[in-house]
Amino acid sequence: MFRSNNITARIFQRQITTPSPGTSVHHARRFYENIVPGCTIHDVECPDLSFRKFTEDGKYLISFSRTHQDLIVYRPTWLSFSCKQEDCDTQDLPLKAKKFESFFTQLYSVPLASASEVICKDFFLYAETNQFGVFATSTAQIHDAPATGGAILGVPSIEKITFHLLRLEDGVVLDERVFCNDYINLAQSMGVFLFEDLLAIVSLRYQRIHILQIRDSGSLVDLRSIGEFCREDDELFLNSSSQADGTAQHMPINNVVNDPNLEQPAQENCFLSGIKQRLLSFIVRGIQNEQKVETMRNQSLKKKFYFHFQDYVDLIIWKVQFLDRHHLLIKFGSVEAAVSRNADNHPSFFAVYNMESTEIIAFYQMSSDELYLLYEQFCDYFHVPSKSSLYMNFISSHSNNIYALEQLRNNKSKATSFSLFIKKVLASLPFNCQSQNPSPYFDQSLFRYDEKLISAADRHRQSTDHPIKFILRRPPHTLKFKIKTGPEAGITDCRTKRISSFIFHPILPLALSVQQTLFSQPAVVNIHFRR
Amino acid sequence: MGSWIVGNWPSFDPHNFSQLRPNDPSAPSKKTPITYHPTHERTLPPPDQVISSEAKNILLRQFYQRGDEKLRPKRAAPENLAPEQECKHPRASVASSSEPPK
Repeated sequence: MFRSNNITARIFQRQITTPSPGTSVHHARRFYENIVPGCTIHDVECPDLSFRKFTEDGKYLISFSRTHQDLIVYRPTWLSFSCKQEDCDTQDLPLKAKKFESFFTQLYSVPLASASEVICKDFFLYAETNQFGVFATSTAQIHDAPATGGAILGVPSIEKITFHLLRLEDGVVLDERVFCNDYINLAQSMGVFLFEDLLAIVSLRYQRIHILQIRDSGSLVDLRSIGEFCREDDELFLNSSSQADGTAQHMPINNVVNDPNLEQPAQENCFLSGIKQRLLSFIVRGIQNEQKVETMRNQSLKKKFYFHFQDYVDLIIWKVQFLDRHHLLIKFGSVEAAVSRNADNHPSFFAVYNMESTEIIAFYQMSSDELYLLYEQFCDYFHVPSKSSLYMNFISSHSNNIYALEQLRNNKSKATSFSLFIKKVLASLPFNCQSQNPSPYFDQSLFRYDEKLISAADRHRQSTDHPIKFILRRPPHTLKFKIKTGPEAGITDCRTKRISSFIFHPILPLALSVQQTLFSQPAVVNIHFRR
Repeated sequence: MGSWIVGNWPSFDPHNFSQLRPNDPSAPSKKTPITYHPTHERTLPPPDQVISSEAKNILLRQFYQRGDEKLRPKRAAPENLAPEQECKHPRASVASSSEPPK
């Protein structure tokens, strides 16, 4: 049974056959082999903004001003031009058409940050069902902040972090949530995870996971705050029971207001935080149940638990993601690694926590074979599925794509040490929310491309002078299109380092490539589209 | 070729189906096919059975399964169970008093 590569033949075939169950997205995607963004407009004149990304439904292009104070949103459209000659296909585009405005119309420009704040340009989350966007603005970071009010020592502090909920249709700010004297990792949206309408924000400084809900009306509602207390009424219970005891540890509220130095030191020190208690008791029960004989049990506990007790107590929450509406995957680690750039050498642990029953379900070390096996088999369940757009669930991973699986197996066989390989692979867990581009041009079963130069993960890469080739995976393995960054003639000055970033539209054959130097020279923006 | 086949269909061997004695197509048989009924009730579902889909996805099911395996007490030495339960009771009562009321 031969599958024709001709687009007309494919359209006729589509009229008469229905795809096998569960493969409608794959069938639709095959048309992207024929419709490719092969035409490039080099160095297009565009406003000097830092372009962030297209929203997942492809309706908006998010960009920020160079001063990082304004948000500008564009609607992607398509160019239109008329050609008077007979043979229009071979003609070059008229100069009037080769503009940024042919492809994008500005919808609005909203000032999000006030004078002392900046918009975090790495942070953007999109709630697709209501077309809401979550943005973050923050003031400057203060290193060596004192550990007051339950804060962890060693974590820097930011005076004010504001999360803005915006309706992208018209740019109206619907709600805000402010965190003062806190530290939330905003780079690449690492400290925040959005799942359906639930937002999990990790406050590194106070070691709390705030769960918020985005209502349809546009308000952000606090659901729970996990960390010190697990259930919503824990704090009330502890306060009321210590009051009933009449212990000297609990100071009446008036005294605290008048004399702020007198905190509740004794009470704070004697209890570990709620989630830490859950974690430690889970570890103890696991170690206890390993041994059948009582005497061996105590010895095992001493070796495996009490010896490392202080290390377990000193663990802090680094990163969190949702596994479903009730379960969180939490990464724990040490304080120093949380703020350092290279966290790979420090030990870290993973725990699965059920928010409803407040139980820890599983606990793994970062080089755990078991967790790696689960990741290898069920990777797609770590990327929580999206209910709104079907194609969001088909971003190539080794669980849904045979070529990606082959690559993982190759890497596994080439690895010198299996535990180091596991550590490297599991270091990507928990995943950054919405960090992968759903464009079908990154689908590994359609195209083969150099993953070091371009991939679905949106991060900056080293820029190369030669174009990036996209080659068909299926026979006849032809070169389909090339993405060349930078000006058409290439760069003569090879000394300055250049970085490129790529912004692909999720549906249309349209992509932006931005090449910039590390100095604040204006970026070179190319538009790649299908002519 | 068998004359029962409506129309002259091509076949590899014209002697195929020559032994077959079909029914007369002009007067179709009024016999109903035999139906089979079970003689026992072993395979019937329980009357109150409700089939629903599992709320937890497969990854979470794996986590729960492995967690349950780790926490299930191993019954290797049954004579030690009784003293273990005795010393477990005071621990359980201390734990329940510090837990918030459900």
